[in-house]
Amino acid sequence: MTNSKPPRDFFSVRSHVGRVQGIISAIGIWAIFFGVWIVATSLGWVNELLVPSPQKVLTATHDLFVNRGFSSDVLVSVGRVFISFAMACTVAIPLGVAMGTFPSIEAIFAPFVSAWRYLPAPSFIPILLMWFGTGEAPKLALLFIGVIFFLITLVMDHTKNVRTELIETALTLGASRYVIVLKVVFPAAFPDIVTAMRQMMAMAWTYLVIAEIVASTTGIGAMMMRARRFLKTDEILSGIIVIGVLGLLTDVLFRVLHRQLFPYIEVKH
Amino acid sequence: MSDTLLEVREVSKTFTLGSRKTLKAVENVSFGVEQNSICVLLGPSGCGKSTVLRMIAGLETATEGRVALGGKAVTGPGQDRGMVFQAYTSFDWLSVRKNVEFGMKVNNIDAAKRRERTNHFLNLVGLSKFADAYPSQLSGGMRQRVAIARTLANDPEVLLMDEPFGALDAETRWLMQELMIDVAEKTNTTMVIVTHDLEEAIFLADKIIFLSSHPGRVKEEIIPAFKAGKRIADKEHIIRMNGYSDLEEKLMRLMREEGHREN
Repeated sequence: MTNSKPPRDFFSVRSHVGRVQGIISAIGIWAIFFGVWIVATSLGWVNELLVPSPQKVLTATHDLFVNRGFSSDVLVSVGRVFISFAMACTVAIPLGVAMGTFPSIEAIFAPFVSAWRYLPAPSFIPILLMWFGTGEAPKLALLFIGVIFFLITLVMDHTKNVRTELIETALTLGASRYVIVLKVVFPAAFPDIVTAMRQMMAMAWTYLVIAEIVASTTGIGAMMMRARRFLKTDEILSGIIVIGVLGLLTDVLFRVLHRQLFPYIEVKH
Repeated sequence: MSDTLLEVREVSKTFTLGSRKTLKAVENVSFGVEQNSICVLLGPSGCGKSTVLRMIAGLETATEGRVALGGKAVTGPGQDRGMVFQAYTSFDWLSVRKNVEFGMKVNNIDAAKRRERTNHFLNLVGLSKFADAYPSQLSGGMRQRVAIARTLANDPEVLLMDEPFGALDAETRWLMQELMIDVAEKTNTTMVIVTHDLEEAIFLADKIIFLSSHPGRVKEEIIPAFKAGKRIADKEHIIRMNGYSDLEEKLMRLMREEGHREN
């Protein structure tokens, strides 16, 4: 990782990428992306009504937040994601751990859960709207349905991956079933469960936008649909960028959480 | 040394494979393990020695026969029969100290006594300095020592070990074998150790139960007479003793016979 090393071939198979090269690569690809965008809009290669310049999108974003109360839309969206995700976790984690621990429980729920997993959550939108009207409930329900069945399956699989020797060790130390589930199986599976939560969080964001675009007057998706009506492509792109940034932030949050919760997991070099 | 602590009597184990096929892994195995002694179950792979050990632990139930500890029939796993596995079984989310305390905590030993016993056994296996480390920071040999300390601290009547050093490199394995002699001498723990390593068997055993393969039967019960009832503390010493190579040769022959029968 020092500069004194002889220069390496760029296409070295499975060799470690140094810190400097990593940073340059990461920034570089974004620089190219925005560069092409700027050049294309300023030289008039594209219709500016459909593809506004990055500067215009930035100004629109600023305007949205400062003058148009966009932050309340953002808060509403974030709130929806977190509340429904928390509800899904409250059900999925205990159930998934129980299914991964007790084959009898798995035998009951697995056939049910796997069937639901193959039903695309958005197909429930019409019926959810009929049941719950247009308030918060249908949005929360959609996110809940979209996340929970996958989360249950992932948690179950991670629980099943807990090595039998750990359980048998606890048994020969005199541990009860209760201790084995709560003090051995769950802590052993917990790091993987948090990783599964991180993956499912991305899915929650996806369903949020679907819910807000289809039927909502508040939230980031609703703002984007309003902007469409007035041909404000810059504001639509602002919405997309804000969603991307929020998704990225949640991902970072989960990584930090993972590192804080599981200091014993060493980073493999 | 003469009181029988653990008794395995006419034990058989048949596994059901699928709906119709069965596999007789262990047939009519009987032997006793004396209080404070080290008993080694030796035999070629597939002889059912691990199955016998797991039945003693209560992790498998015998199809026929019975296992009794101190006259009481074994019906399931329990604190009185602690087991160390070949695979690492450290609880990675707990520090070394908390790992060792785990069994005692489960059995409601008070905190002061837990701490004292933990310190004692960490010291015994030479890990005092690593009490606050996480198992993932330790080498394979050290992890096995954590498992041994954890099991011993829980005060079992018998320590069961299933090829405990099989995953370790050679010199670590010697050290661990010597450590076990040291532990046995200092704590008077009764041990049943499964291995397929002849050297390990001769070095550790007060008594060797040699099992034949497919199904596992007791082929021969061997007392390493050349040790004259003593335990030898280091490996270089034991291989130069009169009678060592004769016993090793005999075990090798037994191994080979059983290995051939398989093919």
